[in-house]
Amino acid sequence: MAFDPIAGQVAIAGVGEADHSKASGRSARQIAAQAVERAIADAGLEPREIDGLCFSGGMGEAFDAKAFHECFGTSQPIFESPRGGGMVWAATAPAVAARALRAGEARHIVNVFAVSWATDRDRMTGGPGQFHAAERFKRNLEVPFGWFPQPVYFATIARRHMHEYGTTPEQLGAIAVACRRHANLHPGALMREKTLTLEDYLARPMLVDPLRVEDCCLISDGGGAYVMTTPERARDLARPAVLVEGVGEGHSATGLYWSQQPDFTATPQVFSAPAAFEMAGIRPADVDVLTLYDPFTIVTLMQIEDMGFCAKGEGGPFVAGRALHYDGGVLPTNTHGGLLSHAYVLGISHVIELVRQLRGQAAAQVGNAEIGVYGGYTGAMASTLVLRRDR
Amino acid sequence: MSDDFPLPDTSWEPTRPFWEAAARGELAIPRCGSCGRLCWYPAERCRACDAERLVWTALSGRGTLFSWAVVERGWVKGLRERAPYVAALVALEEDACVRLVSNLVGCEPAALRMEMPLRVVFRPLPFPDPERQVIAPMFAPAA
Repeated sequence: MAFDPIAGQVAIAGVGEADHSKASGRSARQIAAQAVERAIADAGLEPREIDGLCFSGGMGEAFDAKAFHECFGTSQPIFESPRGGGMVWAATAPAVAARALRAGEARHIVNVFAVSWATDRDRMTGGPGQFHAAERFKRNLEVPFGWFPQPVYFATIARRHMHEYGTTPEQLGAIAVACRRHANLHPGALMREKTLTLEDYLARPMLVDPLRVEDCCLISDGGGAYVMTTPERARDLARPAVLVEGVGEGHSATGLYWSQQPDFTATPQVFSAPAAFEMAGIRPADVDVLTLYDPFTIVTLMQIEDMGFCAKGEGGPFVAGRALHYDGGVLPTNTHGGLLSHAYVLGISHVIELVRQLRGQAAAQVGNAEIGVYGGYTGAMASTLVLRRDR
Repeated sequence: MSDDFPLPDTSWEPTRPFWEAAARGELAIPRCGSCGRLCWYPAERCRACDAERLVWTALSGRGTLFSWAVVERGWVKGLRERAPYVAALVALEEDACVRLVSNLVGCEPAALRMEMPLRVVFRPLPFPDPERQVIAPMFAPAA
């Protein structure tokens, strides 16, 4: 689907992350509240000034107006949309906000996402696999053969990509190594203390051949939030404004049934990224820093191809070596460590990292970053968000 | 997860004929009565021509290996016990765009090759309780 042009209509004025962790016993609501509180404070606002909320209608914590008021003791009217949160919606919530800001329905809108999946997984009450096991065609035609959960799907996709294009373990490993190096520099990253070299990566055993544990995302408790308003208002607030310049979304015709996807080694970024780049008036070569929803290394690689940073099939050679590193790489990517090494908070921290990069406040700061892009992905969908430093 | 995980619910109507066919040693897939295309996963209407009449049809059971994953260390209860095992996508001879999720038998993982010819065999899904046996279409090298 195409979005109305919204370039220059929305700014991100504040960002906040909860403490990311392994299983912590915290509820997703507690985590969401901490992230929201920090994002509001970062913007220099008070909770009573928030009059809009975007949250996840399907995944993670539905942090709605009622939850907000219970946490902050407030009572103001709040515009609500369940078309926010993480994953693809971390990119598209600004389109929801643009409409609400234009219509005068809200002035300061928070998009929030939080999960307690590390805690839930330990209690066997949730986690990323649960959603797929509950889908009845998958439950009856895939699960019985052990084609489940996600690492098995993406190992199958990675092997096909290797077959079609000659992609190598060294190339997938380069993605994991870049993310780990960035996480080592990031104070909030779960993998801050654990280093990873390409030699380490290659020596690790297979989890689901051809993927190693290092090709797969973490499972975490954590979350994040960002505050949206008009660029005019944002310029009066505490932080340098970061402007939303483009939004896009794309869908796979086969939805969550990856096994039947005709173009098995592609993502719906082929539809999403061009739309967002056109709205923003940019080309892939203009992008200074990229964050990609990265449940697996192969998903990073496919999105880089599908967004047009290189030709299809050339993602392997493109990402090799230090290409994705923040300091001198041709395309600095997931400069906070991504889902692989920062925290599995489903993309909300990817957007927060871009905001920090464009403010010049990131831990692994890319020199003179002006344009940042986030690529969201669910398997069935992809989305793209283009952000620009305020001039 | 239910006690039967990862066994299928063979009585669930949309996929019941698939499991009934497997129990009698046939690989069956819905075929559109109007345009003749295979329709997988099962749907109420043909995805190609939107016709409503889909007929479960026995196929040759021949196909090729589209891709696979070797689950070296299972971590989901019910599947962990099977590891190591090969989960595969098999492109069917009648329409290579239709890929069946299945398991490979009679072949070491190291001997697997992309596009290698396969033939269907019928085997019980591994499960601790022998009373709960479900026969499934699996694939072996065709040679």
